Amino acid sequence: MRINRLRLDNWRNFRAVDAPLQKRVFLVGPNASGKSNFLDSLRFLQDLAIDGGGLREAVNRRRGVAKIRCLAARRPPDVAIKAEIVDDSEKSAVWTYHVVFNQDNNSRPIVKQEFVARGGETLLQRPDKDDRADPERLTQTHLEQVNANKEFRPIVELFRSIRYLHIVPQLVRDPGRYVAKDKDPFGGDFLEQVVRTTPKTASARFRAIAAVLQAAVPQLKEVKIERDETTGEPHLMGRFENWRPGAGWQREDQFSDGTLRMIGLLWAVFEGSGPLLLEEPELSLHAGVIRHLPQMFAKVARKKGRQIIISTHSPELLSDPGIAPDEVLMLQPDAEGTRVGTAANDAEIVALLEGGLSIADVVIPKTAPPNAEQLAFSFESD
Amino acid sequence: MAEKRINLVVEGYPDAQAATKILRYLNFSTETVFNRRGKSRIDEKLAGFNSAARSTGAYWFVLRDMDTDADCAPDLRAKLLPAPAASMCFRVVVRAIESWLLADRETMAAFLAVALAKITGWPEALPNPKQYLIALARTSRRKEICEGMVPREGSGAKEGPEYASLLGQFVDQNWRPEIAAKNSDSLSRCLRSLRAWK
Repeated sequence: MRINRLRLDNWRNFRAVDAPLQKRVFLVGPNASGKSNFLDSLRFLQDLAIDGGGLREAVNRRRGVAKIRCLAARRPPDVAIKAEIVDDSEKSAVWTYHVVFNQDNNSRPIVKQEFVARGGETLLQRPDKDDRADPERLTQTHLEQVNANKEFRPIVELFRSIRYLHIVPQLVRDPGRYVAKDKDPFGGDFLEQVVRTTPKTASARFRAIAAVLQAAVPQLKEVKIERDETTGEPHLMGRFENWRPGAGWQREDQFSDGTLRMIGLLWAVFEGSGPLLLEEPELSLHAGVIRHLPQMFAKVARKKGRQIIISTHSPELLSDPGIAPDEVLMLQPDAEGTRVGTAANDAEIVALLEGGLSIADVVIPKTAPPNAEQLAFSFESD
Repeated sequence: MAEKRINLVVEGYPDAQAATKILRYLNFSTETVFNRRGKSRIDEKLAGFNSAARSTGAYWFVLRDMDTDADCAPDLRAKLLPAPAASMCFRVVVRAIESWLLADRETMAAFLAVALAKITGWPEALPNPKQYLIALARTSRRKEICEGMVPREGSGAKEGPEYASLLGQFVDQNWRPEIAAKNSDSLSRCLRSLRAWK
């Protein structure tokens, strides 16, 4: 199953966007256009659905409805996320999940509407008569209610399975810098997560990772996890080919940024089968490696039926001729909030691609900030 | 004598794989691969590669698709690089790298999972070999080939999302340059020209 279409109303940078999502998606746009905020709407759905999550928690993690709501919002100022979900493997009906929320006078998040349908059949329509009888019920969505979501459990499971990754190598090396939080997408508890996997699964996964990693870091021959005997802290160990035999095992604090990011990326790719959200996977990697990421993602999407949504600034990554224009979502900031559209919907882009240009040739200039050259000019008057 | 190390200049990933395989077949080894991503980016720097070959004496193998830019390969070679250095092997593929790959019919038929009879014995006559190969892939019995190599309908892409990597894997594991050369004159001449370095 995957998310086929996403509509956001008043969500952060986006006043009203409606974006089709393919199995593989590339989000492209200037800095601060909202690529991470777009991904965050999916993480919000995940936060609604996971154990220990729910509407209040999801909103609190984002420091309140007022922080979530788009600055360009008009009346009604409700925030809404609508996801359309399909199953590519079978010709099953399309699911729809729609949640509309705001806050009450005490700044508590409140469900204004919640709607679930499968095909043409409505499975949930809130507020219902129970909500009207007891408005307190509207502090929770039915995604977080096991008793209430039996009818649409598959989409609850899909939202739960969403994974976000943006490994910061410094945090992996020095987790003490980060206040331990469960499932930290920035890698603060990456090693803890790895260590919690059963040893059999972990070692199988590391073997698979090491095999793929060979392509990017040929000197790295083996990867494993080990607990320090005195401190009990988990450590990632890598055996590097070295002129001294036996001297090749190194700890993660000796790994390069690129190696750590690559290991994190591959771990995420091998873990699970739900939608995977990747923030700039090109960071710290060599151009010759980045070039092959799109085809690797395509392979994962096909083999594991996994949707992969990637934000990127990399011309290297976007120059893969196998990237289809309908896989590229372009984010363009505007006074009325960021606009989002696929490259396939822009007649000029389609004409340029037809004429032999690559996605990178066209999309990067189209999404560049109009006055970026001022960066260099601005020091002249001093 | 140590095997000769040769620099490669190519248009794309499958081309790089094919050129590497050819060098391996001839017992040469590949030094640096310059993947220029497109023939126009080869053309504009061709003189630079050539003068490097001339001044250092290092070996260079440049492979460029002819496509429909000319009617015959020698004309195009003479036009793009009138005075190649002694250690420069500049070859034009008729008409695109896919022709050379299709020229090894048996392994290609097995890889695409299509009947051998469907694959032409005269790949150099194809006006657009890539389109031809994708059309074949569309009829494949393997799901992996259909989904990976053929562009999704309505997607606007010209090739499937794994076109280059699947084809590159085929070249690396299955493609036989010496067999393919029997069905491709431009490949056969290319092999002959490289052998002159032995």
